[in-house]
Amino acid sequence: MKKRQRAGFYFILPWLIGLIVFTAFPMLAAAYISLTDWDIVGNAKFIGLDNFKNVFRSEEFIKSLWVTFRYAILAVPLIIATSLTMAVMVSKNYKGMRIFRVIYYMPAIVSGVAVAIVFKWILDPSYGLINGVLSFFHIKGPDWLYDPDWVLPSYLIMAMWGAGGSLLTYLAALKDIPQDLYDAAMIDGANTWKKVKYITIPLMTPIIFYNLVLGIIAAFRKFTDAYVLGGAGKEGNFYMVYLYEEAFSHYRMGYATALAWILFAIILLLTIIVNWTKKYWVYSE
Amino acid sequence: MSWGKRKKTGKHLGRGRLTALYVVLVLGSVMMLLPFVWMVSTSFKVENDIFSIPIKWLPQKITFENYIKALRVVPIAKNMLNTVIIAVPKILGEVFVSALVAFGFARFAFKGRNILFMILLATMMLPYEVTMIPTFMIWSHLGLSDSYVPLVLPAFCGSASFIFFMRMYFETIPKDYEEAAWLDGAKNLKVFYMIFIPMAKPALVTISLWSFMGTWNDLLGQLIYIDSQHKYTVQLALASFSSMTGETLWGPLMAASCMALIPIIALLLYAQKYFMEGIKLGGIKG
Amino acid sequence: MKRNILIWIVFLLVLSMLNGCSKNSKDKNTFTFATWAAGTELEEFQAVIDKVNEEAAGEYKIEVLSIPSDYYVKISTKIAAKNSPDFFWLTQELISKYAKMGALADITEQFKHSDSLIPDMYYEGVLASAEYNGSYWGLPWIANPIIVFYNKTMFDELGIECPTATDDWTWEEFIDICRQVSGKEYKGNTVYGTIIDGWPNIETFIWAGGGDIIAKDGETIVLASEEAKKGMGYLQTIIKEGLSPRYAEVASLGSNNVWFEKQRVAMFFGGVQDNFETKVDKMDESEKFEIGYAPMPVCDDGSPWSFDWTASTVMAKSLEGNDLAYKALEAVTKAFFEWKIVPPVKGSINNVIKINPKKEVAMETIAYIMDYARSANYIPEWSDINDKLWYNLYVSLLNDASFDYRSQMDEIQAYSQDLISKR
Repeated sequence: MKKRQRAGFYFILPWLIGLIVFTAFPMLAAAYISLTDWDIVGNAKFIGLDNFKNVFRSEEFIKSLWVTFRYAILAVPLIIATSLTMAVMVSKNYKGMRIFRVIYYMPAIVSGVAVAIVFKWILDPSYGLINGVLSFFHIKGPDWLYDPDWVLPSYLIMAMWGAGGSLLTYLAALKDIPQDLYDAAMIDGANTWKKVKYITIPLMTPIIFYNLVLGIIAAFRKFTDAYVLGGAGKEGNFYMVYLYEEAFSHYRMGYATALAWILFAIILLLTIIVNWTKKYWVYSE
Repeated sequence: MSWGKRKKTGKHLGRGRLTALYVVLVLGSVMMLLPFVWMVSTSFKVENDIFSIPIKWLPQKITFENYIKALRVVPIAKNMLNTVIIAVPKILGEVFVSALVAFGFARFAFKGRNILFMILLATMMLPYEVTMIPTFMIWSHLGLSDSYVPLVLPAFCGSASFIFFMRMYFETIPKDYEEAAWLDGAKNLKVFYMIFIPMAKPALVTISLWSFMGTWNDLLGQLIYIDSQHKYTVQLALASFSSMTGETLWGPLMAASCMALIPIIALLLYAQKYFMEGIKLGGIKG
Repeated sequence: MKRNILIWIVFLLVLSMLNGCSKNSKDKNTFTFATWAAGTELEEFQAVIDKVNEEAAGEYKIEVLSIPSDYYVKISTKIAAKNSPDFFWLTQELISKYAKMGALADITEQFKHSDSLIPDMYYEGVLASAEYNGSYWGLPWIANPIIVFYNKTMFDELGIECPTATDDWTWEEFIDICRQVSGKEYKGNTVYGTIIDGWPNIETFIWAGGGDIIAKDGETIVLASEEAKKGMGYLQTIIKEGLSPRYAEVASLGSNNVWFEKQRVAMFFGGVQDNFETKVDKMDESEKFEIGYAPMPVCDDGSPWSFDWTASTVMAKSLEGNDLAYKALEAVTKAFFEWKIVPPVKGSINNVIKINPKKEVAMETIAYIMDYARSANYIPEWSDINDKLWYNLYVSLLNDASFDYRSQMDEIQAYSQDLISKR
């Protein structure tokens, strides 16, 4: 057994080397920077925990964290449900499914800025696509990104649109669900929904777990489209936008790094919680 | 997709529900494709038509001017080639090493595994924006800024999200498969190479695609490390169409973006058959 | 066989990468110049630099470093890694910040004692943007003051009297014209007097009433003055009476200038550099219109002014006192005067026509406005103050015309003064 232990260690060695060579120094440096007052150019001045104290006193910190947190709570399950539904729909080998698979994945291949610009049009209050369709039914659409109450729904729509990004993970896993399980279920008279509930979802749980963890990380680190689009009443001021502004328009690198470590701690905490629940719902051989 | 298979799966859904499925899928597709329709159509519009009320989804008169202009402003083919020069070694490293490390995490209960795995996840949680400057300092002091090395070399130590994905994927593979091999006294690497790699083909194709697209769409990383114009990548070329003082050249920008999308869509179309043609587990397991 | 080919491909790729990293050790007389110019603008930039290099005849050499996106992120990252470009462009708001951070060379002595480009040659209001703490930190190479572009064809058709090229019109008169235009049908559309969506910048309005944000001493905030509030009142009137398209509506045409190009607004606050002339030239005959030019409406005390955006070329701190570097900086700055409009030095106004012949029609206004062009007094705390001015004041007012801007201005005054007291 000792030997197998060592073998496992050898397998992860390349990553460990990378951790020490490429990741450790920047992270340690960031840990130090968070304890300093550093405007990028001069020498960093050590100020202990002042940055962290200032962060917790800042209204903007609370606000941006709230914006981000609220988005994450809603967007993460929404994205998982949407992409799982898409995957189940396009997984069978019906005619034309190949092309649907590609189409549903396509949002993931364009970079954030292009998407943000198109959504600016789609969500335009006066002439946008969504409000255009609504006015066809004589409904007056909201002002979307220009109305503080509608900023969050706007970002949720964008998140759902991009949900196909994790499609591939589900497709790869769906492929591995043994067909005979479905065949057996069919003989037992199970309908489609039952099959999804009792066979597909349980067998997909490891991948759902993966997407849940990555989804949490991505939601808390949401940046590009929020940076381009913003939103009324600072409702589009996500945590990373706040951090980026602190770092690169106010050049308060120490403060921004403290913000980064707080974000780190929040995501880590959530991941540990999710990881702890793993044994209750994630299927494993 | 054989006829026999289609007949078989055809039993699962009635005709009416199949039609409903297609209707839903087509409606969804329209939504998904909108940005692309806009990109392609803008690339063929004359400058004056790009912005108008109401939005013109199709060009009034088709022009190739934008493409000509785009090609004049940036050598897009060379930029694409540069991206490929970064992407290919990066994929080879990232995909293979990530699978290897994931195998270690998935199948060996070594001491500290859970802690190390948490550390692995944790490396994804600290925003790049604050580690960027220290990282750049290292490469800069090594005299390797303005080169592709900082963009490629770290890939050979695996990527945290790929390792995570591959680990979860390996965990969906029943242990029965390898048991026999272990009993035969096969070497660890052999089990990995002969059993896990072939079985994980769809997942490997998936992360290869991610790796490629990650490189293709990465702007900030490439922007920080690349100085010389002859080393410019696709994203840097696309960024050249909007300047701080000048205006954004929407038409040429969209034309260049469309050209930059072609290789990636071709790759996606080519790769998609692998998502569905992995090893069929059902037959063996039952 | 297949495997061999693969190995060769990898080998070649690695080789081509290594080839990319052969960094040539820099000579003492070679300087890198970071620019945000990209694409077509970069080609022009390169041509200017090539000419300067040629004239230097080997005495020094300038190398171009283009940063096509996230300019300040890359600049600051490079500075942090002690790898600062030798010269780079810096916009006026950032001069004091970068100077205070210690990233810039103080060029005062060299500038004052130069035999070819001295402070007196610059327009005073423009040069002030490169000054901080009694020193000069860069050489302005471009000025872009705001003027009023108007649709002369529309004015004529609607029977409205046009302002003259050097008019001394007041803000009341400006708003009155807006009232006459707004709501009228023109070419099948309802048109507006002007368009305001965060542009022009807030200084424009604060100055309109004769107020300011930061006093000359760089320490006193004067935002809460009655003059400043009166200026903001003009902005409120424009929004309240619907003399500009709704804020939420502007983005539907891409950006504010398109509203002017599509003849949906009669007057547009634009930098003199804005190339409406070229755009109109490219239009179909039926869409063309004649552009008129007027200076900014005067301040309430009757004095003419224009908000000017200026960028300077600055030098890395490590080159402070380096005469060769300064010589190169000076040469390249002078070359820019023949490249971009408007050259910020007196007596070179005719370069504008040489650089862009289409601007000839606007010359009278441009020549007039340059004497009154100035930028705000930017201090290192500006980025924080500006955040508040933008989100808490400007955007709030744009979203809600009844917003209580007066008490908000008092709040920002207190906040800003507090920031300064913590220096």
